[in-house]
Amino acid sequence: MRAVALLIVLVGVAGGTAAGLAILAQVGTTQPFGNELSDNFVFARTIPFILATGVAFGLLGAALARNAHHTKHGHVRRFSRATVIGHWVITVGFLLALPTGVWQYLGGIIDVSAPVPLYLIYRVHYLGAAIILLSVAYFLTYWWMSGHRELLVPSGQWRHHLRGFAHELPPSLGRMVARIFRLHLGGRAATDGQFTFYETAFSFPTWTFGLGLITVTGLVKALRYVIEVPGPVLWGASTLHVAAMVLLMLKVLDHMRYVFARWPLMVAMTTTWVTDHYARTHFPGWRHRSDKSEAA
Amino acid sequence: MRRVVAFLGILWAGLNLIVGAFFVTGSFTATTAAKEGIAAQLALLTGGSLIGIFGALLARSSWNLFMHRTGQ
Repeated sequence: MRAVALLIVLVGVAGGTAAGLAILAQVGTTQPFGNELSDNFVFARTIPFILATGVAFGLLGAALARNAHHTKHGHVRRFSRATVIGHWVITVGFLLALPTGVWQYLGGIIDVSAPVPLYLIYRVHYLGAAIILLSVAYFLTYWWMSGHRELLVPSGQWRHHLRGFAHELPPSLGRMVARIFRLHLGGRAATDGQFTFYETAFSFPTWTFGLGLITVTGLVKALRYVIEVPGPVLWGASTLHVAAMVLLMLKVLDHMRYVFARWPLMVAMTTTWVTDHYARTHFPGWRHRSDKSEAA
Repeated sequence: MRRVVAFLGILWAGLNLIVGAFFVTGSFTATTAAKEGIAAQLALLTGGSLIGIFGALLARSSWNLFMHRTGQ
């Protein structure tokens, strides 16, 4: 299985590189477009190869994750290496795409020009977007193939997870969430997985929504010169793209706030491990069955 | 390592606070938003305010990390 996955990755990367070089070679030839439009064409035409490369690496990640050890002395693996690598790759994508996206929007609002040509900002934005697209394809494939569903709320358990989430919030916010979802805040709910209710009921769903929205609207915007997109659809996509950008800015801020206050989770997203003590005190249900469950 | 991460967190929070401030002031002064109407201005105001709130929360969390008042 690992050899097959590796072969698929090699073929995928070789094909993607060849296609990318061919597309870039065409850019160098005489063409009537400016830099911005030319970059847009390059980005739009490379999208299928970016997605295919993400799928190929996702297959490899799933194949490699199967044989990993899940415990070592005094520690338990919270994340697989595939998840950690994917997390930091998409972080690079965010670091490139978010600030350049904010500048494109904010520059128009405050009517200020950057000291560098605008096409360079777009170019970096497309590069960041390409990395995010690759990561989305990678994670979807990896989770699909490896069967990891720990961040998803199981069917019929939404109220249980929302109640746990309300308990994890500051009391006034928790009561507000309970009122909105008509929850009874009885005894404190204990998590039985390796993620908090905050992560399963709030953080992961909002990440999924934000990333899904910015991906779909970004694809519509990127493909507008390749296929005909009706004006109202393009206007809606542009507006929602900005809304998704703001949502993702908020998500990044909130995500950093959350993990900075829980340093062992930061360590786990680098080394893949949390200490046995941390797992027992914060995720008792998961630690209890940790020898049977895999790292996400 | 914690201090380096905390410093980067404070830097990121500061940049976001500046962006949030531009959003909020832009909601009152930007001609583009004024032309698009009250909905665009409210969106800028809401987005900027939320970025400011979450930026401040991150700054506090980063400061706590910098002072090693975390790691529960």
